[in-house]
Amino acid sequence: MIVADFSRPFWPLFLHVLGAMTTVGGILTVVVLSYVAWSRPDAAFLRRATFMTLLATIPFYILLRVFAEVMYSDEKDAFGGSDPTWVGIGYITSDAGFLLLLITIGLAFWWKRSEKPVAGRIVAVLSALLLLLLTVAMLAMSGKWGS
Amino acid sequence: MDKTQWLLMLHIAAAFCLVGGSTAAAILNMLAIRSEKPSEAAFLLKLIRYALPLIFAGVLGTLLFGIWLWHDLGFGIGTGWIWAALVFWALASALGGRGGRHQEQVRQSAEREAAADDTMSGELRAMLRDRKALAVNYAAGIATIAVLVIMLWKPGS
Repeated sequence: MIVADFSRPFWPLFLHVLGAMTTVGGILTVVVLSYVAWSRPDAAFLRRATFMTLLATIPFYILLRVFAEVMYSDEKDAFGGSDPTWVGIGYITSDAGFLLLLITIGLAFWWKRSEKPVAGRIVAVLSALLLLLLTVAMLAMSGKWGS
Repeated sequence: MDKTQWLLMLHIAAAFCLVGGSTAAAILNMLAIRSEKPSEAAFLLKLIRYALPLIFAGVLGTLLFGIWLWHDLGFGIGTGWIWAALVFWALASALGGRGGRHQEQVRQSAEREAAADDTMSGELRAMLRDRKALAVNYAAGIATIAVLVIMLWKPGS
């Protein structure tokens, strides 16, 4: 498996990793912005910044997901019809994560428009959950859990 | 998981901390540049302190686990792509530190203006959009991406 890691085509792996790293940075920013807004519910600029950052994260998430699929299509035969645990974790977390990202964007939009603190608190909790999912996926894939 | 897989996992986790933390700092800096009031710019620049522990952990972790992997995987001392990655790693760290010092100066100026009448002056706007400081930040980002490219491409291996 280690040998396979060192012989992968460059571009799909690079774009997948770059997308994942920038997505983590974007979601980390959203977590920080939405948690500090918890104690400053009147700060409109924090609501705007949270929403804009979430929107900016979408292309990076797509980069992550699309090039994960490209690599899987190229390498799935090497798994002999039985995907290792880390591939399964990657699929579940990235698909569930994208759904969670879209829900969080919807809630951030509601927060920006309605100015209701409860919406901001839900955004804070969901973005922290998304960051946790991304961290688990990163550890599972880099450590090749179950292989 | 064997030792090499543990080392790879920790090395990659450190790289995620470094790039993820740097991305968060860059986003907060961009949001500060676009802000309308000095108090908003100061607040957003102050939030960068939450990304700093991740960046520092990433800088140290990538170096420590990278050198350990270098030995563990049996790459020779003259392996060019590892030395190239180390040069870009040092460059990214130096440029990132310089960019961070400028952001701190801007934050202090923004806090002074926020305490006065909270109106964005031309001087503060110019500091936020300083081309030289932006070039340093972009160069730090490009050097970080260069490390990633070298690590994944491994030219010559």
